[in-house]
Amino acid sequence: MPAPNPDTLKPAKDFSRSVITFGIARKANTDNVFLGCSDFKVYSGDLSAAKFEPKELYTHESYVTGVALAGTTLVSGGYDGKLIWWDTEAGKQIRTTDAHAKWIRKVIASPDGRLIVSIADDMACKVWDAKTGKLVHDLRGHKEKTPNDFPSMLYAVTFSADGNLLATGDKVGHVVVWDVKEGKPLATCEAPVMYTWDKQQRLHSIGGIRSLAFSPDGKQLAVGGMGKVGNIDHLEGKARVEVFDWKTGKQLVEFPGDKFAGLVNKLAWAPDGSWLVGAGGAGEGFLVFFDVAAKKALRQEKVMMHVHDFEMTADAKEIVSVGHNRITIHKLG
Amino acid sequence: MPRSSHCGSPEHSLNRRAFLGATGAASVSLAADMTQLNALASPGVNDALKKTQKRVILLWLAGGASQLETFDPKPGASTGGPFRAIKTDVPGVMISELMPKMAQRMKHTCILRGLDTKNGDHGSAAITMMRGRRNEAAVRYPDLGAVLAREMGRADSKVPDYVTFYTQTEGRSMAPGDAGFLGARYAPMELTNSNYPEFIKRLADISDLDHKERSDLRELLGKQFVAGRSSETLSSQNEAYERVRGIMASEKLFDVTQEPQKVRDRYGPTQFAEQTLIARRLVEAGVPFVRVGRAWWDSHGQNFETHQEMVPELDHVMATLIDDLKDRGMLDDVMIVTLSEFGRTPSINASLGRDHFASAWSSTITGCGIKGGSVYGKTDDKGNKVVAEQVDAGSLFATIYEALGINPEKNYYVGSRPVPLVNPGIQAIKQVLK
Repeated sequence: MPAPNPDTLKPAKDFSRSVITFGIARKANTDNVFLGCSDFKVYSGDLSAAKFEPKELYTHESYVTGVALAGTTLVSGGYDGKLIWWDTEAGKQIRTTDAHAKWIRKVIASPDGRLIVSIADDMACKVWDAKTGKLVHDLRGHKEKTPNDFPSMLYAVTFSADGNLLATGDKVGHVVVWDVKEGKPLATCEAPVMYTWDKQQRLHSIGGIRSLAFSPDGKQLAVGGMGKVGNIDHLEGKARVEVFDWKTGKQLVEFPGDKFAGLVNKLAWAPDGSWLVGAGGAGEGFLVFFDVAAKKALRQEKVMMHVHDFEMTADAKEIVSVGHNRITIHKLG
Repeated sequence: MPRSSHCGSPEHSLNRRAFLGATGAASVSLAADMTQLNALASPGVNDALKKTQKRVILLWLAGGASQLETFDPKPGASTGGPFRAIKTDVPGVMISELMPKMAQRMKHTCILRGLDTKNGDHGSAAITMMRGRRNEAAVRYPDLGAVLAREMGRADSKVPDYVTFYTQTEGRSMAPGDAGFLGARYAPMELTNSNYPEFIKRLADISDLDHKERSDLRELLGKQFVAGRSSETLSSQNEAYERVRGIMASEKLFDVTQEPQKVRDRYGPTQFAEQTLIARRLVEAGVPFVRVGRAWWDSHGQNFETHQEMVPELDHVMATLIDDLKDRGMLDDVMIVTLSEFGRTPSINASLGRDHFASAWSSTITGCGIKGGSVYGKTDDKGNKVVAEQVDAGSLFATIYEALGINPEKNYYVGSRPVPLVNPGIQAIKQVLK
């Protein structure tokens, strides 16, 4: 079935929140969502409720930056380096794992729900058995220091639709594609424009790869972040997306951004591969749709918050965006 | 780009290459012995010299480092950000988890958590925090370095009295070293393009003899010109020429390769680390005041990423400097100050940044007459305001002066007007003094 046309995008609901929401996981075919927030808490909520009042489930010791659903198991990760495993049906904690030596940036689940993946600033991508919580792979393909001898960061991770591939992206624009079964690197891509090192004016950096998404056929890899920044005090670089043939590492398309400034924090492809959507922001946020084959932007929509994450339904008819003090629902089709 | 002025002050608008190039090389060899390291450790110094043994290294965190991600964390507060607080070697004192090395050295360091300095504008706040007060329309006050150069420099010193590193360009013009009414004699040697002073070497195409003869001629003409005239500018200029001989001899102090590799490795390879190591070499050789400017902390966007990148460097460099001074027996004589023009807002903006904030922020003082392990000042649960032991720029400076053995009430004179080192009524914080 063809994906809905981005021209049909329209805002449907908008909720104000007192906290920043960094991550969202949605139970398939329902309106139930799980949220990871800046008050260190993980919430569940019903988007169809007359009044959206997320319920607190449990607490981390720092910002909760990733939530993922593997079947009925919810796994959250945060700046405390811990993964907390939660049985959503029984409503109780399964286990806590001291997963990383530094701050966890993202947690995702494999499409079949058998694996959980966490990435952190210890530059490790860890693959976990979703049922047992045992470590399956500890993937190391990113340098701990930038070329300028400052700590690097590992921001982005994604699975391919068939679950056979993983991709990880770091602060300096280095991407590694992994064979999930073997736990071995298959290829690398480079997107150095995403990283701005200011060696003269301010002597530090900004940017990094913040989002990744494989095309539905697994042949292309979209990489999101921000273009070069003049004044790195602010997120003033253009929202940037590049698409690679990951097997060769060749950049196929670049969307340098012409309307919005800020980071592209999340990317997703339409299920039929006809378009790619990215979201992110700076002081405000955006949703941007691209026709990758035609190398053009299809729709660029302002969102009233810096978007940190979104969930798109399998039929691409609804996008729930979360971010700075808001949650917004857009409909397509 | 040609460099037109050594110190940047209007009084001293000479071309530095010109005046250094016209100085006697013979004098250089005379000065060389005075620039040997370990001058501080020389035995037999009497009590009267005690004050002049004190030295200060100011780590100037330009742009405004966040107190919440360094010395006044608020974990769990809505304003606290993602980083945890960690225990230190001082019971009850917690600092950001981004500073694990300093956490093991807080027994040497005093944290001032109650700075309320009223000014959130980079330029004017930097001027205030470099001077301890705002300039008046009729009086341009000397900054901390200039006062300490005057109070702790030795008349016969052959090393610079005041050196400042500020290599990044952002904010540099907002916080220049400035001797104010003290004149060019106490203006800083400013290093902006590299760690090594520009034009310090005698030009290759000038022979030693030429160099000396030019110096003698300049001195002769200078004396003739000054005869019968009275001018602070002229006097400063002549003093500057005299001091050039020593400064030219001090070039090796700026050469970090003179340090053993293991010491360089200890500090690390970053520019801030290397400049701090040079600062240690300079104070060891008798330079009273060195500022190491580390820009640029102005994290309106991505505050946490910026501090994740920069605070570990500060943590490592500061801890290494403390260890190094301690190992050399210098920690009682060398003060380390961390200071910015202001701190950062507790509130977190949509770009995950923090903005300018002067109402409740932190500074530290280590060594040299300061009570290590002390914490003075308290902010509220969210870090929005000072709730106890508030400190302003004046009392911070009075504390620094008193710890160094300098009377903060001492007067300078601008014409016939007495001008104390800090504004009348300002007191040092006795609780943090040994």
